[in-house]
Amino acid sequence: MTSAIVGEPLPQVSAQEKTLGRAIYSGDVKVAGMLHAKLLRSPYSHAVIRSIDTSAAEALPGVKAVVTGADVPERAWGVAHKQQHVLARGLVRFAGEEVAAVVAVSEAVAQEALDLIVVEYEEAGALLDPEGALDGGAPKVHAEGNLADEINISRGDVEAGFAGADIVHEATYRTHSQYPGYMEPMATVAATDGTGKLTVWTSTQSVFLARQRLAEALDRPVSTIRVIQATVGGGFGAKIVEERSSVIAAFLATVVDRPVRVGLSRLDDIQSGCFSVPTRIHLKMGMMRDGRIVAKDVQVLADCGAYAGLAPEVMLVTAMRSDNMQRIENVRTKAQLVYTHTMPRGAFRGFGGTQMSFALNSHMAVMADMLGMDAIELHRKNAIRTGDVSVHGWNIGSCGLPECLDQVQAAIGWDEKRARPKGTGVLRRGVGMAAVMHVSGNRTMGNWDGSTVVLKVNEDGRAVILTAESDMGQGANTMLSQICAQELGIPLSHVTVQAPDTDSAPYCLGSIASRVTVNAGHAMLKAARQAQGQILEAAAEKLGCDADELSIVDGVVQSNKNGNLFAPLPEICRYHIFRRGGEGILVRATHDPQTVMMDKDHYGNIAPAYSFAAQAVEVEVDTETGQVRVVDTYLSDDCGKAINPLAVHGQSNGAAVQSIGWTLYEHLQFEDGRVMNGNLADYTMPTAESVPTIQSGIVESNDPNGPLGAKGASETAILPGAPAIANAVFDAIGVRITDLPITPEKILAGLAAKEESQHA
Amino acid sequence: MREFEFLEPQTLTEALAMMSEYEDDACVYAGGTALLLAMRQRMLSPGFVVSLGKLDELREITFNPAEGLRIGALARHSDVARAPDVQAHYPMLAGMAGGLANPQVRNQGTIGGNLCYADPATDPPSCLIAMDAEVTIAGPGGERRLPMREFVVDFFTTALEPGEILTHITLPPPRPDRTGLYRRHLRTPAEHRPVANVALTFRDVNGVPEDVRLVIGAAVPVAQSMTRAEDFLTARAITLDVAAEAAAMVAEDIDPISDGRGEEAFRRQVVRAITRRILAEAAGLNWKDAAA
Ligand SMILES: Cc1cc2nc3c(=O)[nH]c(=O)nc-3n(C[C@H](O)[C@H](O)[C@H](O)COP(=O)(O)OP(=O)(O)OC[C@H]3O[C@@H](n4cnc5c(N)ncnc54)[C@H](O)[C@@H]3O)c2cc1C
Repeated sequence: MTSAIVGEPLPQVSAQEKTLGRAIYSGDVKVAGMLHAKLLRSPYSHAVIRSIDTSAAEALPGVKAVVTGADVPERAWGVAHKQQHVLARGLVRFAGEEVAAVVAVSEAVAQEALDLIVVEYEEAGALLDPEGALDGGAPKVHAEGNLADEINISRGDVEAGFAGADIVHEATYRTHSQYPGYMEPMATVAATDGTGKLTVWTSTQSVFLARQRLAEALDRPVSTIRVIQATVGGGFGAKIVEERSSVIAAFLATVVDRPVRVGLSRLDDIQSGCFSVPTRIHLKMGMMRDGRIVAKDVQVLADCGAYAGLAPEVMLVTAMRSDNMQRIENVRTKAQLVYTHTMPRGAFRGFGGTQMSFALNSHMAVMADMLGMDAIELHRKNAIRTGDVSVHGWNIGSCGLPECLDQVQAAIGWDEKRARPKGTGVLRRGVGMAAVMHVSGNRTMGNWDGSTVVLKVNEDGRAVILTAESDMGQGANTMLSQICAQELGIPLSHVTVQAPDTDSAPYCLGSIASRVTVNAGHAMLKAARQAQGQILEAAAEKLGCDADELSIVDGVVQSNKNGNLFAPLPEICRYHIFRRGGEGILVRATHDPQTVMMDKDHYGNIAPAYSFAAQAVEVEVDTETGQVRVVDTYLSDDCGKAINPLAVHGQSNGAAVQSIGWTLYEHLQFEDGRVMNGNLADYTMPTAESVPTIQSGIVESNDPNGPLGAKGASETAILPGAPAIANAVFDAIGVRITDLPITPEKILAGLAAKEESQHA
Repeated sequence: MREFEFLEPQTLTEALAMMSEYEDDACVYAGGTALLLAMRQRMLSPGFVVSLGKLDELREITFNPAEGLRIGALARHSDVARAPDVQAHYPMLAGMAGGLANPQVRNQGTIGGNLCYADPATDPPSCLIAMDAEVTIAGPGGERRLPMREFVVDFFTTALEPGEILTHITLPPPRPDRTGLYRRHLRTPAEHRPVANVALTFRDVNGVPEDVRLVIGAAVPVAQSMTRAEDFLTARAITLDVAAEAAAMVAEDIDPISDGRGEEAFRRQVVRAITRRILAEAAGLNWKDAAA
């Protein structure tokens, strides 16, 4: 061991190359002979493609190929529902769906050629509103109907719970779709070589899932494809397996047998979808006078757009995850996922948790008022605790929720602010809070949630890590480097993490479900300890002592018994090779957590650890213009052990900003299913000026299953923002907004309705 | 974006000659913040882009007490905001220019480009009209001068004739008894463009306004002088009630835009709020205690 590296607020290991502009993103990759492709999108939400005339486009000088649905493999790809093709075949199901692609010598030529493609569409009736999706007469998105998935869960005796409850409250909430808003729109470069092997550099959260999907979509063996992750400028869930442009790029490279680059413009990126799943949630809860929740009934209607993608798993999270945050026994859920003729929606940071968090935390605030109880008190009363097994069978190895509540309560000045007299002026302030939970890992993609790390220690005592867990900006490489450096007793700068590459890295699932720290962190710890063991064995042999008495401190192997017995690490690493029967240091370690897959009733301990968070905000509402400003926010994240507190704060603060955007600023606008504000001037994400100083705290509950006690951070943190803001708005002006986003118009309408009811 | 030729004339005369030569196929380029977006979205596809970049005289901001302020069309918003003469003698204008859009746009976009593009969702027009600004236009036939209120004609339409270039904007000398205020409102704090704005100038005669200019921008297709409210406010001491009454009048008189940034009713409500506020502020009254 060496001076502490784990637990230190260190800058990201990628910070320098990114700030210098030296990091290579997919769109920066240049391969000799590279061509450029542009995609033609359907202007209609639902239409039959009668014909496509590509002759004029093909005749344009510089055009190498024009590809349509008629040219793509018949095999359909998808997550559970195999229903997409590389390009639309005969039918378009949303405005923005890719119907043709042009490969040309430049983007400009490709763009010009797009205009020369003549597509004859026969428009059909489109289903745009999920509310009507299951009506008999609704236009069908897929032949088998508009129901993509249905989940029913029942535990305990819900009816008895309601019958015995002192108070019951029910309400309907609506949440809207959010754009992941990463800095880097999707980009891919794909190239075939002389053997026909396809190499794909892309912006992805998981190279192995990307490879699997390419194999399926292109209908070829997995091993004929190599996926390399370039630097990723943010993913937020959209770059797991739902974006489509990397699939198209890879296919085009096989068609022209030359390298092809597809770099989406912001408009393209927005039109292609990958927004979060919008929901309608009907929630009914019963409580005893002391605040105990005794019954919960949940009905979810979720809209996955034209293709299911990951939306069924997202909806499962909406349907049941937050039940595990509280000590409840009686709960019933019915959740339905429907198709519409709109852009596909799916995975998004929080993975369905934000939707239900909005409903649940809004509900908790209303019921706290009904009981005359403080909302934080009500959360504390119901909070699950360390050692509990939740209603759905989750073993809570650590729970810092009570401490998160304490932190936000103190930091925002909750008690004083709740006690102050209600404002009567034009600008009114209020405070609100919310509490949430998330998984760290999830055994959901098959019966393995493991991670493998290969570690090489070079002859100069420096380390190289091979993994296919993705750093998409969240800091996985920094976390791995810190654990590795600390365990090996070397400086952080002596560790390199190789970019994920399916041909050289061990099989990994990638950055999803907040699983990388908790699982890959463990594998890293094991690998580093294994390498350390080998180093110490070699040193013991060389120095003529016992390995037990040796340790590595600041790059020197030394005996803790005899001060004269020591050797610089590089010397030992060379010795490890240069001796009879020696070899370079190369170790491999896998960690597969002790979790289970959910059973068919959705029961079972799916994650090695669970993280919690709470947030409190103060808002100011302008009662004349309806403008809501967040003036203060404090978010506490129970991340087990903060391996890098700076990174955790960064994630918490970024999440707080993203949730403010979702709640107040971002608003996807459609007209006839077409996106009307597909640019960042009109789809307004938060700016520095539009958020207050963002503050966050860390609760270290040190989970027994986490590497060095660590759990996931960052996804949990996006969950509480929206309801905290809605609750604060209610505190400020007495208007409860149950459908997101909270727009100025809704505030004004709410105030007007309140005024009217007071005069009535 | 279609390919184009980028021309860099060294003098205004040369620029005007190029504009005449290429006619409809030419476009003036100042900071490019509006033009390039339009070209990228292929709303405009000029074959010749005539940059004003080398015409340094168009960047100048000069002041003299007898003639007033002269702002070159190529002055960027941040230049206007930071110019000591503007800050000293026209703080209303400095505040407007320093508060519009975001730092990127302020450091790249020019005041001339802003006015010539005539996008309603902008700040300078209402402010300049209330300050009695005039614009000077150079064309093949020489120079002409127009009051600002006649320059913007409609949604994205100005009084510029083909081939003409806006060269500068002038403001009359400041008068010690004349005060002015400007206020913009964003639909949400994350917006860049105003959903509505209001500019107010008047002569303060012992606490009573005279020669009132009250102009609404952004909520309407073309910045609109609110003549009924101006008359109502003339020679009337501003109280909170007067402010509210004038604000209601203005909200009624405007002809608002309805679009993704706000429907008509919302725009009226915002205009009413900001008008009341600017009037209260002008009279040193507190608008925050109670709503109208
Ligand atoms: C994200 C964003 C936010 C914005 N927010 C605001 C805001 O809050 N408030 C606001 O007021 N504005 C706002 N704007 C608009 C911005 O102020 C203008 O885009 C800018 O001032 C235009 O100046 P430019 O020099 O870039 O013009 P250019 O883009 O170069 O030109 C614009 C148009 O004017 C013509 N033109 C330019 N100069 C002349 C000239 N001298 N004579 C004749 N024709 C000319 C060009 O041919 C072109 O048609 C915003 C813009 C963006 C992109």
